Amino acid sequence: MIGLLAIGLLFVVSVVIGAYGVRAARTTPDFLVASQRVAPGWNAMAIAGEYVSAASVLGLAGLMLKNGVGTLWYAVGFTAGYVAVAALVAGPMRRSGAYTVPDFADYRLGSERIRKLCAVIVLVIMWLYLVPQFKGAGMVLHAVSGTPYWVGVVLAGLVVSVSIAAGGMRSATYVQAFHYGVKLLFIAVPAIFLVAHAGSGARAEALRFDVSDDWSRPLLDLESSGAPLLATWSVLLATTLGAVGLPHVIMRFHTSPTAKAARRVAVGVIVLLGVFYLFPAVYGLLGRVFTPELVHGGDTDMVTVVLPGAIVPGTWGSILTAVVAAGAFAAFLSTSSGLLMALAGGLSHDLSRATVPRLRWAVAAGATVAVGLSLPARSVDINVAVGWAFAVAASTFCPLLVLGIWWRGLTTAGAAAGLATGVSAATGAAFASVLTDGGPGWLVVLLAQPAAWTVPLAFAVMIGVSLRGSVPEWAERAVLRLHLPG
Amino acid sequence: MSGTRRVRITSPQTRIALARRHRPAQHLLPPTIPGADDRDSTEAVRALFARQRRQAARTLALLGAVLFGLSGLLAAAPALSHVTLLGVPLSWLLLMGGSYPVLLLIAVRHVRRAERLERDGARPERGPGTDRAAP
Repeated sequence: MIGLLAIGLLFVVSVVIGAYGVRAARTTPDFLVASQRVAPGWNAMAIAGEYVSAASVLGLAGLMLKNGVGTLWYAVGFTAGYVAVAALVAGPMRRSGAYTVPDFADYRLGSERIRKLCAVIVLVIMWLYLVPQFKGAGMVLHAVSGTPYWVGVVLAGLVVSVSIAAGGMRSATYVQAFHYGVKLLFIAVPAIFLVAHAGSGARAEALRFDVSDDWSRPLLDLESSGAPLLATWSVLLATTLGAVGLPHVIMRFHTSPTAKAARRVAVGVIVLLGVFYLFPAVYGLLGRVFTPELVHGGDTDMVTVVLPGAIVPGTWGSILTAVVAAGAFAAFLSTSSGLLMALAGGLSHDLSRATVPRLRWAVAAGATVAVGLSLPARSVDINVAVGWAFAVAASTFCPLLVLGIWWRGLTTAGAAAGLATGVSAATGAAFASVLTDGGPGWLVVLLAQPAAWTVPLAFAVMIGVSLRGSVPEWAERAVLRLHLPG
Repeated sequence: MSGTRRVRITSPQTRIALARRHRPAQHLLPPTIPGADDRDSTEAVRALFARQRRQAARTLALLGAVLFGLSGLLAAAPALSHVTLLGVPLSWLLLMGGSYPVLLLIAVRHVRRAERLERDGARPERGPGTDRAAP
């Protein structure tokens, strides 16, 4: 009951902050990128708020409880991605003046077809990413109030699309900055409380390194492949380079006033993420002692929500559960609104002509499809699905942006070939991994987290095909313009 | 106002229209650095771009070394798990919190260097082919 109240309160505050931004959303740039007037501090917090999704709040601790300490490599990769963003794309993307990744492709290559191809890939990544968010919403609501799974999914879809369609990005900026605070506070305070309350025996048990058990190994493994270093590296590659190519994150840098500010925003994000990621581990470690039954039940993604009740009985336990549940809800609300914005941009701005009413329809349509996909996805691990979204981004937009920004030799044909190869290889591998049940070995890793081979492949195809074609004479100017001081 | 940054002002519709054109209009103009004539300017911008690219490559190499190095170290030295610090296995400690400060350092270092490159690049007297730019 308290859990429902806390989530309800969060809903109301989010909608109020969202409505505050409605006044500002008048033209398409206002709607999409808040007319580039968002202050750097707010922007960094909004990016972190958008980025810390259900995968971080629920998925990390859940997958850690299920598979072991090595799961935290996801968090390292999620953060390391912003070093790559600061170094490779933040400044030049801001200078390009493009709103979205498809816009950038059009700017750099001057081709309407490549814009459409990019828009389709945006949709693939965003839907892959939205499904685990809505899954988290359904599960948490089920855990705190017993409502069926689908109610939470549909409710989350409704709230996010109404808030976004009403206010656009500017409102999303403040909503998401607020959500970062909620998430950090609502996961950190209960974590500290739980550690203090668990007792010294339980604490020692949680920190016990068991040599005979793979759980304790500080490397992650995928589907018990027995190739942990390869799995770790593939996940690191996907998460680090995926962050470079995530359309909804890239879009955020356009809201910075200058390229210099955009780069600094990326550094601010590293600080905010580094602080946040200290806490999910607490839930994973304590969950190993207090809620081991989740591992057999299959609902390990719920450990963050279930744990407070298992450690602290009575009213305090319910209050802590409510706090954590509200934090988790903040996670998918903010991430989903960012994802929906990028989806709407892809559907309306890039695939057809942009007007504000059409953007609003695109938001509704995007949310409906995502909800429809989420309903049968209850048993998919949140972090695994998010890992696929990152793998697709790392194998498509990462090479497009990196080569487009730093190499004048990129041609339209090369970009198109690389994008098509990357998206089919990465999604194909992910689907193959779901459908097949391979035994141990490196092949399982390369299907479950394909970034280790799809990223180099996409780069190679893009470079190889580009080298065979000829570059238009204005290509160098287009590249140099991205690196002008100021 | 410092006047260091010049902003092109167009209506949103114009910007969208420009972004849609087959050959984006802004690519017709050569990129310029204030204070140099067109040809010198293009050379200066090229040189700046090359420096920025080297800097980005260095940062990326450093990032790769840290990520793959740390995971490789944990794989190669299981003994790290038997050493404990305040009751926490050292390998877990490295994984849970060890990388974030290093990542931040790499990013801050990159941003400072990139900003210095851009400041110097914007000054014509430092770039190549600037003999004629009077002090």
